Amino acid sequence: MRARLATIPIIVLTLALLPLAGPAHAHPEFEKAIEARSGRTIDCAFCHAHPDGPEGVHAGQIGALSPAEMQALNRARTAFEPGAEVDSPILNDFGDHLVTALGKKRLVALRQAPLQMVDELGDSDLDGDGISDAQEMLDGTHPLMRHHGAPGSLFVVNLQRSWFEILMLIIATVFGVYGISHLLRWFGHEARSALGDDARSALGDDARSASGDDARSALGDDARSASGDGAHSALRGEGEPHDG
Amino acid sequence: MDAFLYVGLPYLSLTILVVGTIVRFRQAPFSVSSLSSQVLERKKLALGTVPWHIGILILLAGHLVAFLVPDIWRSLTANHTFLLTVEVIGFAAAAMAAFGLGMLVYRRLVTARLQAVTNRMDLVVLGLLLVQVLAGIGVAVSQRWGAQWSAGTTSPYLWSLLTFQPDLTYVADLPASVKLHLGLAWVTFALIPFTRLIHGFSVPLGYLVRAPQQVIWATRRRLARDTARAGGVSPETSRRHFVKGLGGLFAAGVLMSVGVLDKLVGYFKGQRLERSEQVDLLEKKLERLRATSEEQALELERLEKDAILVARLGQLDPRQGRYFIDYQMRPALAFKGADQLPILISAKCTHLGCTVASDVNDKGQILCPCHISYFDIKTGAPNPGAPAKAPLPRIGWLLKDTKGTVVMTQDGAGNRTWPQGEDAIAPDALDGLQVWIAKRFEEEGA
Amino acid sequence: MKPTTRTRRFVAFLAERLPAEKMSLQAMVQKKEVPVHRWSWAYYLGGLALFFFVIQIVTGLMMLFYYEPSVATAHASVEHLTNNVPGGALIRNLHAWSSSAMILSVMLHLLTTFAMKAFGRPRELTWVSGVLLLFLVFGFGFTGYLLPWHQIAVNATKVGLGSIEQFGEYLPGDLADLPRQIRETIQGGATVGQATLSRFYAIHVVVLPLISLGLLGFHLLSVQLHGMSPGVDRPTGRTEKFFPLFILKDLKVWGVVFLMLAVVAICVPFDAFLDYPLGAPYNPLGSTPDGIKPEWYFFWMYYPLELLPFWLVAGGMAVLQVGLLLVPRIFRGTSRRVLRTLAAAAAIYLIVITLFGQAIYEMFSGGH
Repeated sequence: MRARLATIPIIVLTLALLPLAGPAHAHPEFEKAIEARSGRTIDCAFCHAHPDGPEGVHAGQIGALSPAEMQALNRARTAFEPGAEVDSPILNDFGDHLVTALGKKRLVALRQAPLQMVDELGDSDLDGDGISDAQEMLDGTHPLMRHHGAPGSLFVVNLQRSWFEILMLIIATVFGVYGISHLLRWFGHEARSALGDDARSALGDDARSASGDDARSALGDDARSASGDGAHSALRGEGEPHDG
Repeated sequence: MDAFLYVGLPYLSLTILVVGTIVRFRQAPFSVSSLSSQVLERKKLALGTVPWHIGILILLAGHLVAFLVPDIWRSLTANHTFLLTVEVIGFAAAAMAAFGLGMLVYRRLVTARLQAVTNRMDLVVLGLLLVQVLAGIGVAVSQRWGAQWSAGTTSPYLWSLLTFQPDLTYVADLPASVKLHLGLAWVTFALIPFTRLIHGFSVPLGYLVRAPQQVIWATRRRLARDTARAGGVSPETSRRHFVKGLGGLFAAGVLMSVGVLDKLVGYFKGQRLERSEQVDLLEKKLERLRATSEEQALELERLEKDAILVARLGQLDPRQGRYFIDYQMRPALAFKGADQLPILISAKCTHLGCTVASDVNDKGQILCPCHISYFDIKTGAPNPGAPAKAPLPRIGWLLKDTKGTVVMTQDGAGNRTWPQGEDAIAPDALDGLQVWIAKRFEEEGA
Repeated sequence: MKPTTRTRRFVAFLAERLPAEKMSLQAMVQKKEVPVHRWSWAYYLGGLALFFFVIQIVTGLMMLFYYEPSVATAHASVEHLTNNVPGGALIRNLHAWSSSAMILSVMLHLLTTFAMKAFGRPRELTWVSGVLLLFLVFGFGFTGYLLPWHQIAVNATKVGLGSIEQFGEYLPGDLADLPRQIRETIQGGATVGQATLSRFYAIHVVVLPLISLGLLGFHLLSVQLHGMSPGVDRPTGRTEKFFPLFILKDLKVWGVVFLMLAVVAICVPFDAFLDYPLGAPYNPLGSTPDGIKPEWYFFWMYYPLELLPFWLVAGGMAVLQVGLLLVPRIFRGTSRRVLRTLAAAAAIYLIVITLFGQAIYEMFSGGH
């Protein structure tokens, strides 16, 4: 680090406030608060880069950082006031957003009552699933995963977003069912006639069938005519003179 | 020229339309007819008039909606899928109308019977409509998404006409094809009172809801034959089912193809990703492959080497275990015992195999989070009543100094040896010694 | 009994169960009728199960284009399908929701056919094929669950297969090792790994579907041949023709159900029900997240395993499986009233254990 006069107070301030940054296993209070409130299990990947937290030697943990990443980490660690753009290598985008929105000082103070931060996060919705990050914190669902959220809220949000597709689907299904049902009825008539079944039993059953088939009125006449004496009854039914 | 086209012509045409229609209805009511020639020629008429009328009615309905409620229409067409649906339906209707109209023109050209009853105005109407439909198709093809732009241009212009405050700024810059289409529309309106187009005002709407008509044949034989052929119902009913069936499926098919087809094609095409997305995807795959290759490298190491380094004794902690992989490729934990010597124990829970956590509680136990079993780190024994019944196997270790000489060993049962003698280890040098696991302990069933 | 008499009786038995003379278009299309009574709604359940199965086949086939059955890339391929492929998330979601819907309708079908005594003579083989299909369906669920290769998939499979090894405690001497060997044969290795994924993939995608299609074909044919069972002790005498009337009603039910499934699949990702650490890629060397448990349709055997002694649950399951297959024999003379009571009791148990199993478990084991 280049020794400039301005860096000395920063170093002093950092060292003074470093104890506030927390002991080895950082911030289990947040995890417990969210789990207690939401009833769902979470892990450190809620805010951190690695699911097991910042301590360790894997990618996204302190033990595996390059020097450039260490510098970025220190910048993030010293962002005490809100508004600083941070890109901490041990935090995911939500963690970075928390540091930017609240500032490190407030974050450390929130360890006493983590869920108070819900009111201070505003309306941000980093994953675009329609549920605000603050609400996802209360629900225990991951704020960076679009497909993860409280099922009820997701249902409502997606219903609003996809209303047109759903409407078209309903209309298409109604048409499809209507179409297939009429084709089936047509096929049934053709099949019965092809099988040479005596018209009487087929007609008798059709007359019995309960659905509002528009053939029913025709059947009433046809049943009489086909089973009976031909045109006589049909014509009689229609009020026309006998043809002898 | 623009003033005439956009202001003079419309008002003139609408005046003629209104006055002319009223006069015709009053002076010559029986002439309000479509002058149907169905009795003269049936088959081509069916093929022409049905698609023509269905197509043109759909198109007119679309034009009307965009005109009546432009704001609602604009917000609806903001949805891309809706706009696509409307555009497709419009093109389909236009194709039908053009085909039907073409068939009607052809019919009149080749049937002598019809030519005998065709008058000049009929030809004018046919020609005008044909040009108008083709011009409309031309507009739709050259200026796409008319459903959207019309809401902001022609609709407000038309409203401005009807409110007698004509505002040409909406339509001043429209291309020639649109001007043609618009102009011809006014001409058509003006011609309505003088032609068979008047039949638009006498449409038998009641037909939409009338009961199906039964065709009753006069001869008994034909009746019985037709009834039996249709499976016990009149052929009319059977045909209706077929038509309704096909119609329903067609409508469903149109909707599905507009809404689903592009997604279906997209599904099988896979996505063309942005470069940043491709980078992310490939990085993720690379990382997973790295993890797998690391795992297989570990396996190889355990097959090849007789001893593997775990950590320096100084790196171990009595309360926080350090994970390593044992010779069975299972997770294991290393602690520093109370006597400053290492404690190595398997971290694969003997209940159902979950990885045991690494924090030691005040009772010297580690916890398996899956079904809550506590294991003592010194003996590996589970707490009474735990779901796990068998103790965690302890793992044997070697202590080597910096030169690689083994100074101390402990096997899985806890038996210790000092190959260089017990005093070879200085207590303050302990932290510098290295903890290793050895294959021979595994083979002995440690 | 002389061998020829026994053979003749066996042939007669088969002839009655598989009436070939009814296998004509005429009989199936024209004469088949469906009784109309209070329980007629239950006649739709089998068709619903079939409908969901068809959806599973279609969505499964589509996902097959993108899934990679390798431990390194399985989870990444599923993520790619969900996040990058147009419509991929919907297809995957449909598959997940439809699988639960299918198992639900299969279990309702089981309970109602039992209550309606639809296994009565000559429909015994229909019942037996149905029970075998039930086992296959659970097999589908178990093998399919592993394929995404995330934390809950692999760990739940480990736990599930681990219960096989628990038999070893009760076997004498050398046999005590047999369950472990069986488990390792199923796994294809000492642990759940690539070999397990490969064989579960083959079972889920090829083996089980082929067997199911065969059994399903037989099951449906048998239903068509014998017609719908009367279902109640005193038939009302009212019937409706199967073709086309009942089929049309069936079709409408399918339409409504399809819409419900589609709306739910469009709006609610199945993953939203899982705590997200459970959906992370499986890490064999890391810690196991909380909350590993099987899918809801296994709860009826999972929570008893957690709460009761193993021998009791294992014994109960064996009795249940054998009993299910022998139902036509055991309950041959039972009245429908008794059957309905038994089915209701079973239904109540299933509902309570599925909805409240976790709460009951926490009550009795001091929390998790």
